[in-house]
Amino acid sequence: MPPRTSSRCLALIAAAFLRPYPCVARVCAGVLLACSLMLAGCSNNPHPEPLQKTGEDGTPWKVRYGALPEDPRSLDPQVSYDAISRRILEPVQECLLEYQPFKTDPYELTPCLLLKLPERVVKPSGGVSYRCELKAGILFHDDPCFPEGRGREVVATDVQYAFQRITDPKVECPALSNLQDYVEGMAEAFEAARKTESFDYSKPFSGLEVTGRYTFEIHLKAAYPQLLYWLAMHFTSPVAREAVEFYDGKVHEGTTRDLFRFHPVGTGPFQIADWKRNTRIRLKRNPVYRTTTFPQDGWGAEQEALLRPLAGKALPLVDEVNMTVFRETIPVFLLFRQGYLDGMGVGKDAFSSLVTPSRDLSGKYKERGVTLHRDTEPSTFFMSVNMEDPVLGPNQKLRQALSAAFNAQANLDIFFNSVPIVAEQLLPPGIAGYQKEFKNPYGYNLEKAKALLAEAGYPNGRDATGKVLEISLDTTGGSANERMMAEFNQQQFEQLGIKVKVVENPFARLLEKLDNGGYQLATGSGWGADYPDPENFYFLYYSKNFPPAGKNHSRYKNPEFDRLFEKMATMENCAERDAIGLKMNAILAEDVPNILNMHRSTFGLTQPWAPRIQSNPMLEGGLKYAVLDHALRENLRAQWNKKPVWPIGVVLCGLVAVGLFTFNLRRKH
Amino acid sequence: MKWLDQIWVQNLCLLAGYGLLARLVVWGLRSERWQTAWKHLRRDKLGLVSLCVIGLYLVVGTLESIVLPSASGSVTLLQRLTAGIPQEKSYSAPLATTALSVADPKPLLGRHVLGTDALGRDTLVQTLRATRSALWIGGLTSLIYIPLGVLLGLMAGYYRRWVDDAVQYVYSTVAAVPEILMLVAILMVLGKGLGSMAIALGITGWVGMARLIRGETLRQVERPYIAAAKALGQSDWRILTRHLLPNVMHLVLIKFVLGFSGLVLAEAVLSYLGVGAPVGTASWGTMIDASRSELSREPLVWWNLTASSCALFLMVLALNLFGDSLQRAFDPKRGA
Repeated sequence: MPPRTSSRCLALIAAAFLRPYPCVARVCAGVLLACSLMLAGCSNNPHPEPLQKTGEDGTPWKVRYGALPEDPRSLDPQVSYDAISRRILEPVQECLLEYQPFKTDPYELTPCLLLKLPERVVKPSGGVSYRCELKAGILFHDDPCFPEGRGREVVATDVQYAFQRITDPKVECPALSNLQDYVEGMAEAFEAARKTESFDYSKPFSGLEVTGRYTFEIHLKAAYPQLLYWLAMHFTSPVAREAVEFYDGKVHEGTTRDLFRFHPVGTGPFQIADWKRNTRIRLKRNPVYRTTTFPQDGWGAEQEALLRPLAGKALPLVDEVNMTVFRETIPVFLLFRQGYLDGMGVGKDAFSSLVTPSRDLSGKYKERGVTLHRDTEPSTFFMSVNMEDPVLGPNQKLRQALSAAFNAQANLDIFFNSVPIVAEQLLPPGIAGYQKEFKNPYGYNLEKAKALLAEAGYPNGRDATGKVLEISLDTTGGSANERMMAEFNQQQFEQLGIKVKVVENPFARLLEKLDNGGYQLATGSGWGADYPDPENFYFLYYSKNFPPAGKNHSRYKNPEFDRLFEKMATMENCAERDAIGLKMNAILAEDVPNILNMHRSTFGLTQPWAPRIQSNPMLEGGLKYAVLDHALRENLRAQWNKKPVWPIGVVLCGLVAVGLFTFNLRRKH
Repeated sequence: MKWLDQIWVQNLCLLAGYGLLARLVVWGLRSERWQTAWKHLRRDKLGLVSLCVIGLYLVVGTLESIVLPSASGSVTLLQRLTAGIPQEKSYSAPLATTALSVADPKPLLGRHVLGTDALGRDTLVQTLRATRSALWIGGLTSLIYIPLGVLLGLMAGYYRRWVDDAVQYVYSTVAAVPEILMLVAILMVLGKGLGSMAIALGITGWVGMARLIRGETLRQVERPYIAAAKALGQSDWRILTRHLLPNVMHLVLIKFVLGFSGLVLAEAVLSYLGVGAPVGTASWGTMIDASRSELSREPLVWWNLTASSCALFLMVLALNLFGDSLQRAFDPKRGA
C-alpha cells in the first residue's frame, strides 16, 4: 500500500474506533487498528538505523553486524582479560605490537604502534633492555577529556603511564604477577604503593625509561623473551592520563561521567560510538586512523584471489561495527538465517541442522553461499587432580587408572558434536613444542585402567579392607547440560567399580575450591594461551605458582619439573628448549596431575557478503580486517525476508465474519 | 550423615514408611465415617481406577527404593531387574536399530521401547526410576507438613485467643513470601538433595493444612460432644487427640492425596530450575529440563520429554481424580 492510502485507511479505522458504534464493531476496529499499526511499522530488521547513510565520499556506509554472548565487563586496557571484553577492546585500543593476522605456524609479531620491533640490548650487569620507538603522529581518538575535544599525539610517557598503571595495586592488573618478576623496579614500586595505599605516578619508574619524545627503553632484571608477547597485549598499550583522570564516574557540572573502564580512549581503527549496556555496542571508524595498513603477504595460495586486492589498503575496511548482546543462542541462529548477522558460531542447538554427519555444511546453507570454518583455539581443557589429597596425591597409579578410565572421545561425541580434538598433552597445537605424534600413555583404555587400579591397591575398586573406594568430583551445576556432563564423568570413573560422589557447585564456589585446594577431582579447568609460548602452559604446574600466586590448581610439586621449567622459561625457542619441553611433557604424562580432555575447537559460519579474512586465534576477531559486500547483502536480505501475506487475510476474514455475525444478531433483535 | 548411606538404614526407612501408612489406614477404618466412605468409594469406578494407577506407581517406586548390595556399593532392585538392558553410546530413537544422526550409524546393542537419552540410557527405565524421586518427595514432605499443619491447626482452633493469634500470624507471614522464592532460598541454604527438598516443601506447605484444620476445629468445638467431654473433666490433650483429631482426619486424608500431586509437580519444577534432584538421581523434572535443548536439535529428540511428561501427567491426574473421589465419598450430605 502506498503511504498516503494507508494513512487514510488508518484514519478511517481510527474514526470507527472512536465514534459511538456498537461495542463489537469498535472492538473489531481496534484489532484492525492495532494490526495495521504493527504492519505499517513492520520490518523484521532488529537493528537500529546505521550511524550514517553514506560515507563522506557518497559511498554506502558499510556496517558489520555481530553478536556478543554477554556485555563486556571492563574495557580498561590494563584490566580487561576476558575474551568478550577483548573483542571490543581490540579494535578500539591498539597495542605496541600485534600478531600478523595470516602467519599462525609459527606466529609472528609485527610492529603496530611501534615503528619497528624492539631492539634487544644485553647490559653488562646481566639485565636485558628493549629499545622501542613509537610511530610519530599517531593521535588518540577525539574525546571530551582532551582540550577542545581533539585527540593529542601518543608519546613515550603514555607507555610509561601504562606501565605505572600495571604496577598500581588499585588497578589490579592481571599481568602484574608475571611482569613484576622481570621488569626492573616494578615489584618494589608495587610494595611501596601497597604500604602507603597510593601509587605515586610522579616518581620516575626505573623499569621503563623515557629517552625521547617517542623513544623508551624497557629494563629487565633477567632475560625474558616473552616480553614481546606482553607488548602485543592490551596491558602494555599506551593510555592517556587525561582520559583516566577525566572518566572517574563522578558528577561534574551536573553530568555523571562514565568510569574509565566503560569509556576507553584509544588510538585504534574504531571508536565507541554508543554503548547501551547489556544491549548493544556500536563502533565507528576512526577517520584519522593511519597506524597500520593491510598486510602485504602471509596468506596461503587459496586466499590469494580474495586478499591480493586488499594488500596495502588503508584500514579499517568497514565504517561501522554493530555488536548486539544475545544471551540465548537461538535468536542468533534465527537472525543469521534472515541475514541480519554476518557470522555466527555453530552451537549445540543448531548444529545438526547446519552441519551434516560428515562434518560438512548442510546443502541448504551451501546454496545460500554460507561458508563453514573450523577454528581450533590454542587451549587445553582438563580435570584437575588435587595432588595434596591424601588418597590421590601419593598414589600415582590411581591417578593413571582414573585418567585411563576417562573416555575423552565419547565425551566430545556426546557433548561437543565431535568438533574439538582429544587432548593428548598439555600443549595445544600451534604452540612451539607441541608434539603431533605424542599419545597420552594413560589415554582411554579401560582394561589398562582396571589393571592400574589393582596395582594402585584397589583391585575391583575395593581397598584392602574390602571397602569401595569413594572419590568426590566437584563440578559446576545448574544447567541440564552441566548435570549431564557430571553424570557422564561419574559413569566413566564408576566403570572401574569405584564410587564417585558428584558435588555440584556454583561456578564461583568451584573456583574458590580450586584456589584453596578443597577438592579431590574438579572439572572445568582449562587454559587458553595468553601468548603462543610453551612457558605459558607449563607454568600451570610450577610449584611456585600455587594459588593465589599462580594457577597451579593441582598443587603439583616436582623438583625435577621445577628445575626444567626454570631453565626453559626464559630461553629463546631453539632445539635445546624443545628437548627440555619433551622431558617436561613426559613427566606430566607419567604423573597425571590432570585428566586431559580436549583442545577446544568450534565451527563458525560466515555469510557470502562477509567472507572470513583471517583465522588467527591470537587475534580477538581482527575487526579492522573485516570486509563487507554491501550490495550483495541488501540483495540477499530482501530475498530471504519475503513477508507472507496470508496472516493479514486470515485476520481480515475473521473480522468480517465476526462483523456479519453481530450484524445478524442485531437484526434478529 | 554417614549412617544414612548404609543399605539397611535405607530399607528400614522404607519399611517404616509403609508400616506407618498401613497403621493409619487400619486406624482410620475403625471409624464409622471411613467405613461409609469406603462403601461409596467401592462403587466409584473412576476412583478405583485412579487408585490402581497410584498403586502401580507405588510398586515401581518401591522397587527403585529397595537397595541391594552389589560389587560397586549398592544398586536398587529396579536397576537389578533392568540390568539386562544395555547402555548405548548416545541418543537412539524408540525401537531404532541404529544410533541417531552420527556420521556412520553403528548398530545398537539392543532395542529400546522408548529410545535412549544423551548418555545412552534407556528412557523407559529412566522414567520408571524417576517415580522414586516423586514418591519420596511426596511422602517425606507429607510426613513433615501434615503433623505440623494438623497440630497447629487443632491448637489454634481449640485454644483460640493468643494461640490462635500466634499461629495465624506465623502462617500469614509464611504465606506472604512468594513460594518458589522461599523454596529456592531454603534449598540454597540446605544444599541439593531429596531430603532438603522435602524439608523446604514441608516448611512452606503446612499453611494450607493448618488453615483447613483450624476452620474445621472451630466448628467442631461448638458441638455438644466437646462440651460433654469438658464437663466430664477430660484433659485438653485427650480432647484434642481422642475427640477432635478423628473428626478432622477425613480432611487430612483428602488434603494429603490432593497435596501429593502438588508436591510431585513441585519436585519436577524445582528440578527443572536446577535446584532439585542431585546428579545421578532420575527425576522427571530433570528429564524435562534436559529436553529443552533436545527439542531444538535436528533430528528432533522427542521421546525423553514425552515419556517423562506423560508419566508425570498420569500420576498427577490419578492423584487428583482419586482425591476428588475421596472428597465425594466423605461428603456428609450423601446418604448411606
